[in-house]
This record gives sequence, structure tokens and C-alpha cells, in this order.
Amino acid sequence: MSVARETKQQVAEIGEKYKYGFVTDIEMERAPKGLNEDTVRYISAKKAEPEWMLEWRLGAFARWKEMREPNWARVHYRKIDYQDAYYYAAPRNTPKKQSLDEVDPKLLETYKKLGIPLHEQMALAGVAVDAVFDSVSVATTFKEKLNEAGVIFCPISEAIRDYPDLVKKYLGTVVPVTDNFFATLNSAVFSDGTFVYVPKGVRCPMELSTYFRINASETGQFERTLIIADEGSYVSYLEGCTAPKRDENQLHAAVVELIALEGAEIKYSTVQNWYPGDENGLGGIYNFVTKRGDCRGDRSKISWTQVETGSAITWKYPSCILRGDDTVGEFYSIAIANNFQQADTGTKMIHLGRNTRSRIISKGISAGKAQNTYRGLVSVHPKAANARNYTQCDSLLIGGKCGAHTVPYIESRNPTARIEHEATTSKIAEDQLFYCLQRGIPQEEAVALIVNGFCKEVLQQLPMEFAVEAQKLVGISLEGSVG
Amino acid sequence: MNAPATWLDERRAEAANRFAALGVPHRRIEDWKYSDLKTAIEGANDDAAASWSVGTLPEGVELFDLSHANAPAWVQKHFGTLPQNAMASASFAHARTGFALRVSRDKAPGSLAVDFAAAGSARALIVLEEDASLTLCETNKASGFSNLGVEIVIGANAQLTHIRHAPRTDAVQVEEYAVRVARDGTYRAHLFNGGAKLSRAEFQIALAGENAQAHLSGVSVLGNGAHADVTTHVIHAVGHTQSTQLFKKVAGGKSRGVYQGRITVEQGADKSDSRQTAKALLMGTRAEADLKPELEIFADDVKCAHGAAVGDLDPNSLFYLRARGIPEAEARNMLVRAFLEEAVDEIADETIRATIWEAVEDALPKAMQP
Repeated sequence: MSVARETKQQVAEIGEKYKYGFVTDIEMERAPKGLNEDTVRYISAKKAEPEWMLEWRLGAFARWKEMREPNWARVHYRKIDYQDAYYYAAPRNTPKKQSLDEVDPKLLETYKKLGIPLHEQMALAGVAVDAVFDSVSVATTFKEKLNEAGVIFCPISEAIRDYPDLVKKYLGTVVPVTDNFFATLNSAVFSDGTFVYVPKGVRCPMELSTYFRINASETGQFERTLIIADEGSYVSYLEGCTAPKRDENQLHAAVVELIALEGAEIKYSTVQNWYPGDENGLGGIYNFVTKRGDCRGDRSKISWTQVETGSAITWKYPSCILRGDDTVGEFYSIAIANNFQQADTGTKMIHLGRNTRSRIISKGISAGKAQNTYRGLVSVHPKAANARNYTQCDSLLIGGKCGAHTVPYIESRNPTARIEHEATTSKIAEDQLFYCLQRGIPQEEAVALIVNGFCKEVLQQLPMEFAVEAQKLVGISLEGSVG
Repeated sequence: MNAPATWLDERRAEAANRFAALGVPHRRIEDWKYSDLKTAIEGANDDAAASWSVGTLPEGVELFDLSHANAPAWVQKHFGTLPQNAMASASFAHARTGFALRVSRDKAPGSLAVDFAAAGSARALIVLEEDASLTLCETNKASGFSNLGVEIVIGANAQLTHIRHAPRTDAVQVEEYAVRVARDGTYRAHLFNGGAKLSRAEFQIALAGENAQAHLSGVSVLGNGAHADVTTHVIHAVGHTQSTQLFKKVAGGKSRGVYQGRITVEQGADKSDSRQTAKALLMGTRAEADLKPELEIFADDVKCAHGAAVGDLDPNSLFYLRARGIPEAEARNMLVRAFLEEAVDEIADETIRATIWEAVEDALPKAMQP
């Protein structure tokens, strides 16, 4: 059965409503509204953090107070009142669970609706899930199997307590505390996140996966992810996101840091499907994320793949610093914006080492009244001899009221570097559409089919479990955009 | 300046206010990221008046000296009416010298030479009436700090070919062109840039009528110490408009070649067709090329493509030539020339093309040094 037909069916099932737009009614424990030093101390105390971590957070907060919100992106939104939000929310009943039976059934139900395979089917799927439910990790599975391999995969709050040396050594080394407004805010108030350490020469035995979910109303969520792949190791990490329906805008400012040491490889895949706001542009998530990977050792590789279909506003530039010689950076992206969504996304490839290579494939799709911008930088420094970059940005426009923009920066300071950039903007070709219609494929299915074809190069990069979900998402996101 | 020209005073006051609000552009302003004007002109003043001269006027062309009072109606109608950014506002507010040119309806007077020199600011207005055509050969030999603002109004079915020859200087030279093309009109610009201490040539081109066209091409041949920034903004305001751009740069020594090109297709400007290519060759590790080809599309039925590439000469081509007994230095020479020639070939007039090619040849030896 074609994915398009499946999509259609799914769309019919969910009707007009956002698929994940439900609210789980669990009692929340919150920090007082607003942001000040006490909030930072409160979060740190809640997490039973050591003194050095609190100092780190307070340092970040002091800097943040002096910083200004960036305004260069092509996104427009009502000014955010940072004092009018909660910075910490956790389900009240949090004593450690020994087995899944102890987990609040309501939470389990939420996961079920999200389609997280938390039970035995996980073994079949080969997925270990560290599910983050509003800032606190509730259940972690497959620990044993990972322990056997020596892989550390745990909430970052736990890592701060149990592996302080590793955290101290790497935290904030890729995205410095003072990097940008949102990253600094995150450094001050991050509530939880994921920590992964893959030891030397280990190939992580399974795909690691985390589902994030924003649940409490008016709660900004500040995740912090730190992934370290030691020499010669390999890890593939999946991040999937859904959030319930809300009318109030919610801020999300995550920071993800990847570090690949000599010969290591990290593959980071995201499917982002947060609430995009309704047809009138009301509500939706503000997604201001800083993601950066550092190919620190020679011959290391970092690969980003993202499918961005949700959020009212996306401000996200997963980047690679190609520091070691012979390192490789990749960025594959699909960004779909419908209705009043605004996406400003892209990447930065910083070539520092010799023989470094990078590849950027970006597919932007705009429909309705959405604005979709690719913004990218390829920078080759004088010592990056024989650096190589290939960039391809394609935009697809559906309807005459949306916008597709491309803003690539190319800066080269080495004569042996080769940088190529290509971009095209087009609409769905009449002949392709006609071909489908002629063969009895309805218009909406035909569009989903063509768009999936347009995105194929990126979808192929996704791990299997994600690829299927992503294909469906592509169809759902464009629902109602044609005809 | 004694006659009370109220319309002019008003427009100048507006420009002065605009400049006061915007200030001198600097590195932190995104559009000036690669050309730090503020630092470059520290201490300089733009109150001086740049000098200009216009060649023998052919039949059908009118000239008005902007420092004179009692501007004719056509000057009043157009002067200071096209959009002005910070530096164009500055030149409009401050400049007291300059000229206005008009080609009358249906006239095709051939070519006309225009020279700018010295430091300071000046303004120019060029008006082509319906069905007129002109080839304008501009030479820009600035010194010190020069800020020129040029407005070009192209009437329906009129054609302007604009050659801009800017040999290497040690000046800080800013030149802002605002162009408006009416239906069926064509604007062609061909640039040669030898670079300066800081050189910025900015084009803001509005394709305001159906079937209006803009075709730009240019080469920057930069030796040690040169900087050349070509910034373009082509606005497809209505449908069925076309634009092409082809820019090539060769940068040697410690030089910097910049190309920033923005194409905007406004809502409803369906069937717009725009292509944009920028390529740079670097000769050493001290040279830098910065390319930013930008697309801003608000209509769905359009064809827009851009490409950019920075690199060394193609090793395969080099090998091919060397395998046929051509020494490496000579082979490199051939390939660099072939690279630049593509952009110079866009010039239709043979004599002008030869003049520009001569300028390329003059600048090349320095630009090919690492």
C-alpha cells in the first residue's frame, strides 16, 4: 500500500485535529513563575546537583541577563516575556521505578498514544528509550545491554552526579555558555536531557532514542543533550518530538552538543513534529535550538538528519566543526511549513582541518501562508587544505501566498578548497501532477507522492523506524494545502 | 545654491534623516559583513565634491548640471525618487555636484562616456524615455573616500547598456545604483573591478513592468591589498520578468572578493525567471572569497536558480593541457583567462569588450600572484 494512501487514511482518522494534541492530566510540581537567580538555584537543588554545576548555571544566567535576543532570522513573533513562564515542571511522583508496572498508568497511556514502543516490542525494534516527560526522565530501559557494551546512556542530571569528570570535561565545549541568547538561557535553566558516552572502539549495539514531549501548560522546556563518541566508536541517536495542543505559545530552547574523537562517528536524526499552531496561526511551539557537533579527532564523522514539520517557529542550525584532519560533516534536512508556520533553518560547516569534507542537502517545502528559509554557512579556514563542500538547497512552493528563501554564506580562505552551491526554487510540476491524476491517483495523494519523491535523498538517510514515520508526516503536514 | 528649490530641499532633508537613522554601515550590519566601511573611513569626510565629466553629447541627449538651480521638470520628476539605502541617502543629502542625463523618446544616440574622479560625493540621474537606447561607459577613478549615488530610470521598451570600469585604486569607494525598469525595458550592466582599499558597488534593480529584464555580468581581478564587493538586489515586482547574473572573481595576494546577490520575487510575480551564478578562484592562502547568493521568493510559479563555487583551477583541465606539452604556468594562464572570459563575453559591443579585456589583462599578473 502506498504511503500516500496510508497518509490519507491517517488524516481521515484524525480529522482536523492535530494528532498529538491531547493533554495528560497529571499533577505537576513547579518552580515559581519567572526567571531569577532563585529559579536557577531551585532547579539545581531539585536535581541535587553538585556545587560546580550550580556555579556554572549562575555564571550563564549572569551573562544571559546582559544578552539581547537575536533578530536576524526571518521569523516574526510576539515578544516573549521570559518572566511569564515556568522554568521547571516535573510530575510530582518521582521516586525511582523498579519496573514499568510502577510507572503511572496515565504516563504509559500517553506513551502509547505517541506510539513509543516501551514494552517487549522494543527488543524487536532494537530501540532503547529514555523517555523525557516534561523534564524528568521516567523510564530507562535496555540499560543492561548497554552496560555490557560499556555505553553510558542516561539522563544528564544523573550523569552530573555519577560521571562528573566526563561531564565537566565536555559540557559547554562545543556550544560555549555564552554562544548565543538561547543557548545561554538553556545553560542557566536546563532541567534535564540526555547524556551518552560511547567508549573507545565500541559500536553501540542499538539505536538510541529519546522522545521529548512538552506537557505542562506554559512550561518552557530546556533540554540539554551531550553525546561523546570516544576514539573509533559509533553511535546512532534518534530524537523524536511531539507536543500536545495548546493555545499559548511555548518556548523551547534546547542545546545539543556532539563530540566525536578520533575515528568516531555520530549519526543524529530528528523528527520534529511539535504543535505548529492552528490554521489561523494561533499558538504553537517556539523552537529555538542550538545544535552543534565537533569532529575533534582526525577521521571522525558527524551526520545530522532532520525532518522538521512542526513548531510555529523553527530557529535551528545544526552545525559541524570539522576540526580534525580528514573529518566529515553531513547535514540532511527536510523542512515543511504550512499555514502560518515559519521556519528558519540550515547549518554551518566550519572547515578547520585538512582534507575535510562536508555535504549539505536541504529540502524546503512551503504551503499555505508559511515562510521557509534556508540559512547556511560554509567557511573554509586558511589551513583547511583540500577541503570539499557540496551544497544543494531545493525549495518547493505550494500555492502563491507562501515564501521560500535561501541565504547561503560561502567564505573561502584556502585556494585548494572546492565549494559548490546549487539552489533551485520551483513548484510541483504540472506534468508530474497530470501524470498521477491520469492514473487515477487523487490530487492530495499525488502531491504527497511527489513531495516524498522530492525529499527522497533526505528520507533515505533516516533510520528505518523513523523513515516510515517521516514519510507519513510529510503527507499529514501538507494536508489541506492543495485544491 | 541660492534659488529656493523646495522640492529638492525636502527630498534632501528626508535623505538626511534617513542617513541619520541608519548611520554609516559597519561589519555588524549583515549586508556589510564583508566590507567594514565604518573602520575604513574613520576620519575621512564626504563633504568634498567628487569631480565628474561627460563626453561629447550625441544628438538626442540632454545634460543638466545638478549644481545649477532651476532644474527642468524631468529632473524634478525623477531625481531622488528611487529607493535609497544608508550610503545613497548620505550622497543624496550631502552631494552638491553631479549631473542628470536624458535620452529623448525613440532616440538611439550610441555610446556616451562618463568619468568620475577624486574624493567626495556626487549624484547622477540617467533617464531613458520610451523606446530610447544608450550605451553608457562609466569610468570610476576615485581617491580618498568617494560616495557616488546613481539613479537610472528606464522607460518602456528602452534599453540601457551600462559599462562600469573601475581600475585598481587605493580609495574607499562606495557606489550605489538604483535602477527602475519599466515594461519591455532592458538594463544590462557589465563591470570590471580592479579593487580598492574598500570598494563597494551596490545595485538595486526593480523590474517594475512586464517583460522587463536585467542582465548583469562582471569580473573582479584582485591583486594584493585589493577589496571588491559587488552587491546586487534584483526585485521582480511583477510577473513575466527576467534577470540573469554572472560574476567571476580572481583573487591573489592578500585580497578579498565579495559577491552578495539577492533576488526577490514578490507575491503575484508569477512566471518570473531568474538565474544567478557567482564563481571565484583563489590564488593563495591569504586571499578570501565570500559569496552570498540569496533568494527571497513569495510567488510559486517561478523559475529561480542560483549557483556558486569557490575553488582552484580544475586539476583535470590542467592535466589535459600539460599532457599536451603546455607548461604549467602557461596552462594556468590559459585556464584563468578562459574562466574570466565567460563573463566578459557578455558585452555585445566589440570595441568595448576589447577595452575591458585590456583592463583584465593589465590586472591579471598581480592577481595571479599568491
